[in-house]
Order: sequence, then structure tokens, then C-alpha cells
Amino acid sequence: MKSEILKVRNIGISAHIDAGKTTLTERILFYTKRIHAIHDVKGKDGIGATMDSMELEKERGITIASAATYCEWCEHEINIIDTPGHVDFTIEVERSLRVLDGAILVLCSVGGVQSQSITVDQQMKRYKVPCIAFVNKCDRIGANPSRVINQLREKLGHNAVAMQIPIGLEADLRGVVDLVRMKAVYFDGENGETVRMEEIPENLLAEAARQREILIDSAAMFSDELTEAALEDSVTEELLTAAIRKATLTRELTPVFLGSAYKNKGVQPLLDAVTDLLPCPADVENLALDMDNQETPVRLVPDIAKPVVALAFKLEDGQYGQLTYIRVYQGNLSKGGTIINVRTQKKVKIGRLARMHADQMEEISRISAGFIGALFGIDCASGDTFVSPGLSLTMTSMYVPMPVISLAIVPEDHKAEINMSKALNRFTKEDPTFKAYVDEETNETIISGMGELHLEVYVERMRREYKAGVTTGAPRVAYRETITQMAEFNYIHKKQTGGSGQYGRVAGYMEPTSEEDFIFESKVTGGSIPTQFIPACEKGFRNCLAKGPKLAFPVTGIKVVINDGASHAVDSSDMAFQAAARGAFLEGYARAKPVIQEPIMKVVVETPTEFQGPVMGSLNQRRGIIVGSQDEGVMCVIETQVPLAEMFGYSTVLRSLTQGKAQFTMEFFNYKTVPVSITEEIIRKAQEEKKNVA
Amino acid sequence: MLKKDLILRNPLRLLGNERETILSPGGFGAILARAGVGKTSLMVQLALNSLLSSRNVLHISMNDPVKKVSLWYEEVFRHIAEKYQLAQMDQLWEAILPHRFIMTFKVEVFSVPKLEERLTDLTEQGIFFPNMIIIDGLPFTESAREMLQNLKQLALKHALHVWFSVRTHRHETVETDADGVPSAFQNVADLFEVLIGLQPEGEEIHVRVLKGGSSDRDHRGLQLDPATMLIMDIADKAAAV
Repeated sequence: MKSEILKVRNIGISAHIDAGKTTLTERILFYTKRIHAIHDVKGKDGIGATMDSMELEKERGITIASAATYCEWCEHEINIIDTPGHVDFTIEVERSLRVLDGAILVLCSVGGVQSQSITVDQQMKRYKVPCIAFVNKCDRIGANPSRVINQLREKLGHNAVAMQIPIGLEADLRGVVDLVRMKAVYFDGENGETVRMEEIPENLLAEAARQREILIDSAAMFSDELTEAALEDSVTEELLTAAIRKATLTRELTPVFLGSAYKNKGVQPLLDAVTDLLPCPADVENLALDMDNQETPVRLVPDIAKPVVALAFKLEDGQYGQLTYIRVYQGNLSKGGTIINVRTQKKVKIGRLARMHADQMEEISRISAGFIGALFGIDCASGDTFVSPGLSLTMTSMYVPMPVISLAIVPEDHKAEINMSKALNRFTKEDPTFKAYVDEETNETIISGMGELHLEVYVERMRREYKAGVTTGAPRVAYRETITQMAEFNYIHKKQTGGSGQYGRVAGYMEPTSEEDFIFESKVTGGSIPTQFIPACEKGFRNCLAKGPKLAFPVTGIKVVINDGASHAVDSSDMAFQAAARGAFLEGYARAKPVIQEPIMKVVVETPTEFQGPVMGSLNQRRGIIVGSQDEGVMCVIETQVPLAEMFGYSTVLRSLTQGKAQFTMEFFNYKTVPVSITEEIIRKAQEEKKNVA
Repeated sequence: MLKKDLILRNPLRLLGNERETILSPGGFGAILARAGVGKTSLMVQLALNSLLSSRNVLHISMNDPVKKVSLWYEEVFRHIAEKYQLAQMDQLWEAILPHRFIMTFKVEVFSVPKLEERLTDLTEQGIFFPNMIIIDGLPFTESAREMLQNLKQLALKHALHVWFSVRTHRHETVETDADGVPSAFQNVADLFEVLIGLQPEGEEIHVRVLKGGSSDRDHRGLQLDPATMLIMDIADKAAAV
């Protein structure tokens, strides 16, 4: 590992799906001689790109887990984390950006700024990560880098400025013009490994000069020296680069590069930009909170002499055992040293340390401030802070978004059940956006995640890695039963056939209530029901609530008042009155016009205004009542109340309706009576289920 | 209590015929008052009156978010329910809720074409067909006339009527015409069929019909109850005392 922290770059590569992140990383590794052969993400050789080491990733051609690697370029050490583009795996982007110092935002020159581009940009903003943009796929039909730069400005609000202009586009892409050096750059050799600098073609001179002026004007806003030099027409490369770097580090400027990773064009200048424009660990302000001083922020210094402060950002249970990826912000993690997990206050002895290259590792003796590495055999959670003994600092963890979709899973057999449990324990530990729990009411195992793909991948991994076959389905809705009118009851429980018998009479009424789930009131006078049996009556009524007479759903919103009864000197007992109460409940319930209620969710959808109509239509189709829509400029917020039963699979529907640009949140609102047609459907399904069970 | 009983007992009937709306399709009505006197409350009551008749109301707010507007309705409805001792308030509320749609706009970007676009979104998808629109918080500047004319076209096209809240200022309420219409509003007054003014006098808030409404109107007939901001008939108030 490089000891000069100024020559270290920790960067992430993030983008929308299929923008070319993994392909770009593959080229970076090749040109830095980290790997000696290029393999395509979904190539015919079936090997797959270096960073997609999981079988599922190779098969599907998608990145599922973020992967870390490192390389050297121009005497700089560049640590790279390649991240997934699907929103389903957003936690990988979240955790990576939390610990990285800079990022490359990859954009497709045809697709431009897409839905996940917006999300990863927000994530970069959240963690204040400076970035440079790479407009990829300039070899494709329809490539339009200047449109993409405009979109960066309009849709993401970036002060985006072109650092290059293309020499040719689409099939004719031959190279780029570097606007800082004012030279044409070509990429020769079988894999574009040889960079050749030439004079700018004549037909591009005017455009290059114009774009350079724009670049200088933009950068001059951040440098008085550059402003003066511009006025005197004596702008040097170093001055211009320094001004651009200054503005990039504060996220006030986004330099834009272009090329085609797949066609081996534009990658080497991008690497130059990483070393010239993106921050080293010392350039980034990292803060911890002093727990002994009312959480006062404390600036961390990337000095190996200082006490250790490090953040665990990823866990992986792999072939080498439990691996904890860690970023060291201050101090030095050495083999044999001792650190404290701030959350658990447990002392941890540092065992083996490693540096990762996709799924391969290299053992090292220490991880110093400013670097990312991995520890073995540490029991912790993502987001845990580790410090030297005696220090009471903690770092803010990463933002964990709430799951948006749930599935019920059922193991195929008992062995699968055990393995499924192990798998769920591991996956939920590794991925905070993947949750698993047993629903108390329906007894189903429910898994929740960020999207259908997210859950699909975990179900497949359960099958492959844990041999746990499961079937999946929509989770059951927690219906309720209640009554809608007052009804009287007068029930005698009598079993007097000789010997000790049972006798109890309970009379009163039941009525709907909105105050509580169940209210019991005794207005019995004159001892018609002896006082000692009143609690038994209440217990009898309560026992009926767990499974309602109508469809065995829990009963709520009932007030029961007993006002009369009768007892027998010998045969009355707690048991007798419990039974009498049960009978009274059934009698009254049938007369009280019981109905089924379903959970209604408050669903708030945030969507670009252009999709407002289709979104409202989709909610309307789901028996949703649209409360209103709020205009927020280019976006609008639609508030609705929708039955939970209709929301299954909605995240996928919403994504396809809005090109992935809308999001929604869902929370419980209240219970409402199910319409008659739906009630009949529920009854029919319940009867079918009973038949199947029988 | 049935919905229709609630409507019959509603003092708003004094502003129009008992079973019909106060305005006809394409008609404009406005409630003029200074800030905080009760314009929104009265408009919500007009809306609830329509909702109880199963007529759809589109409530447009320039100032308040959806949640706040929704709270207005809940509060006013609750006051009405308490006043008339409604037995099944929740059920009635759930029955009328689907007839209401709230839209909010930032005042600086509101325009009639934008509103028409939003309306089309609703009607084309078969989601909501308003019979009445309430526009709360639209500023009545000198350039408002053109917008109002366009709105009138829209209202006629969709056969609906529109109620506006108009904030007046102290000096404007001094300079009025013979009917009591503030001078600042007179350049657009011809576009309105009904004008209602809310005039605080001491602890009372008088509801004055400045233009239009029922031919039987009694200028001294209606007030807003300061405690609940519900409209009330002076005769009922006297009977209660």
C-alpha cells in the first residue's frame, strides 16, 4: 500500500443500469495492468468481467454486489469499488459512497440521465462525494454527449462542463479532443492500450476553441488567478487543472469526459482525471461524533500516529469466512492490535487483514488511515465504528432505505426450512435492506426488499448456496372482523345429565366501538351472575376474539356489556361461565351484522408531473381513494388511501409506468370495511383453503 | 340523520335554493374577507354541502399542502357532526370522501392551461369528474381578469361552477360601491354571479350577500359562529338562546 496518502484515490463507479460501470472497471484494470485479458460482462467466453465474480452475476450479466479492487496509475494508488446499477441493490451504492472519497458518474450517451442516475446522484450529494462524469457508449447509434451534459445541468442541477469533445460519434468514434491540453487523443492497439496525441483536426478547431472558452469561464469562477490569466490570454494547463480541481472538490463543478469503454476509447484520460481532479483522503473532511461531549463533531485526521477510527461498511460471509470491509479514517489497523466496537463496547483483537481484488484477496499487515481493507473473523454489523481503546467517537452510519416489496416464502421441506433459516440469518446480516420476519398473525415467513429482482436474487441464492428450496407468494393480508350494529344475547350453557354439571346464563348486548379493540363492561346487578364469575365471562368473550366466527380473522372494535344472567349453586363454575360467554358471543355476533375489514395504507407517490395521470389511474384501479395531488415543480406528490391487498407488486408497476422515475412510500392508515364483491372473493378463497387443508 | 336532512338544516340554503346549488354551471362565486376572518372555513362548508349531495368537489389550494386542506375538512365536518349530533359520523365521512379531490399548486406557476391539463388527467382516466371547484388563495391582481376569463371558459366547458376566496385589505373595505363590493375587485366583479362578504363587527362575523344568491336573502340572516366558524342562521341562534 502506498504510504503517501496524497497519491491515494478511493473512488466508486456508479450509474444507472447498463451504463457500463463494470466494463469501464474492466478496462481500468487492464490499462493499469492489473489484469492481462479483457472479458466482457456477458461475453461468449462465459468468463465474465473481473468484478462480477458471483455466478449469478455472470449468468445474468448484472452486478449484484459491490466489489473492491485497486490499481496503480501515474504513481497513484486507485482503490475502486464497482457498484450495481439496479435500485434493488441500492444499499451497495449507499455503503460504498459512504466510505469513498470520490466517484465517477457513468452516463450512457444515448439514455442520458436515467432514473438510477438520479438516485446515485442523490446518494453522492448525501455523502458530499465529489464526482466526475463519464459519458459512455459514444460509439452507439444515437449517441449525443452534449445532450447528456445539458441533462446533467437541468435534471441533476450540476454545473457540468465538457472537458473533451468527441472526434466522430457512433460508429465513427475515433478519439477525443482534450480541451485542457488542446490536443486530439487517439487510442491505438488491439485493446486501445496505446494513447497517441496529435494536433486537433481542422474541422474541430473552432468547436474546440469555443468549448475551451466555456470551460475556462466556468473554472475561472473559482480562481482569481485563472481569471487574470484568461484576461491576459495566458492560461496554462496547470492553472486550469488546479482551478477545475478546486471546484470539483467542493462539488461546485462537474467535469465531463467521454468515450466508449467497450470500444476501448477514452479510459486513459479518465484515469488521468481521477488522479488530477478527484480528492485524496486528506482532501476530504471526515467527521466523527464525540459521545463524551454531547455528540460534538470532531474532524478526523488521516494520520497513522493518531488513535484508530474506522468504519465497517460491508460484511461478507464467503469462502474465507466472515469478512468485514473496513475504511480507516484515522490511525493504523495492525495485525494483533486491539480495537473497540463502539456499538457493542466489545474489545476485538485484529486477526488477519486483507486487501481485496474482486473475489481474491491479498494478505497485508496493516490498513492505514485513508485506505480500505478487510478484516477476518470479526462479529459486527454494517455501520459499526471501531476505535482505539479509550476513545469515545462514533461515525454516522449509512442511510438505509426502507423495503418496498414483500413476499411470503415457504420452505419445500423440513431440511429446507433449517437451511432457509441459516440463509436468512446470513443475508439479513449482510444486507440491511433485506429483512425477514415471521408474521405473528398469519405465521408466514415474510421477506422484504427493494424490488422484485432483489428478492428473486436472494431466493435463488438460498437455493444455490444453502440448498434451501422455497416457494414464494404474495403475503397474506391481515383482515379483521367487526360488527356494525348493536345486538343482544341471552345464552344458557347447561350440561346437567347427572353428577357434576355445568350451568351458566349470560345476557347482555354487544355493539361496535372505535375506542379500543375490545371493551368489556359488567352492569350485572343483584348478583344474577356471582361476582367471582365475572372475570370468567370476560375471559370467555376475549377468547372468541382471536378467530372470528365469520372467517377466523381476529375480531376488533367490539364492546360487550353483560347486564343479566343466572347461576346454579352447584354447577356454576369459571369453566361454565366461560362456555356461556362463548355461546353468547356467537349468538350476538351473528345478529350484529359482522363485516370483514381490510388494512388501508396511506400511499404517497412522488412522480414527475408528466406521469401524474397514469399514476393516478393505476392507484384508482387498485380501489384507491386519491386524497389529493401536490404540485412541486417538475414533480408532484399524490396522496392516496389504498387497500394493502391491492398493493402487491405495485413497485414494479410504478416503475414501468414512470420509466423508473417515481417512488412511493406506504404506511398503515386504518381499517375499512371490505366491499361486498371482495368479501365474497375472500370467503371463496378461505373455503378453498379449508378444502385443501382437509 | 340522513344526508338530506343535514343539507336541509344547513343555513347555506339561505344563499340559494334548498335543493339546488347556489351557482349554475359556468358560474363564479367569491367570498371576500380580510385575512383570518373565515373564507376557507366558509368555502369548506360550501364544499361539504356539495359532498353531502354526492356532488364532486375539486379543492384547489395555492397556499396550503394537501394535508392541511384535508384537516380543514375534517375539522369542519367534526363541528357539523357535533352540532347535529350525527350518530354514524365515520360512515358518513367515508361516504363523502371519494367525492373530494384536493390539488395544490405553487401560486407563481399556476395557470389555466396547467389546471386544464391536470383536469384532463383526472377525467380521461375516469378518476374524478368535478361538479364544483374551489380555488383558495388565488391572488386577485390587476392582471387577474384574463385568467378569470379563461377559467370561466373552462368552467363552462366542463359544466361546473367555481368558488374563489378573495383576500381584501382594510383600506379596500372602506372604498366600496353601493353593493359593498371593494373597489379593488370591481374590475372583475362582472364575471361573478355571487359575491359574499364576511364582515367582522365586534365579536360577530356577518355573512353578507353582496351580489346574487337567493331572492329571499336576508342581509342580516347569516353569521359565522366564532367558536366553530360554522355558518348559522341568526334565527336559530336566537332560538337557542
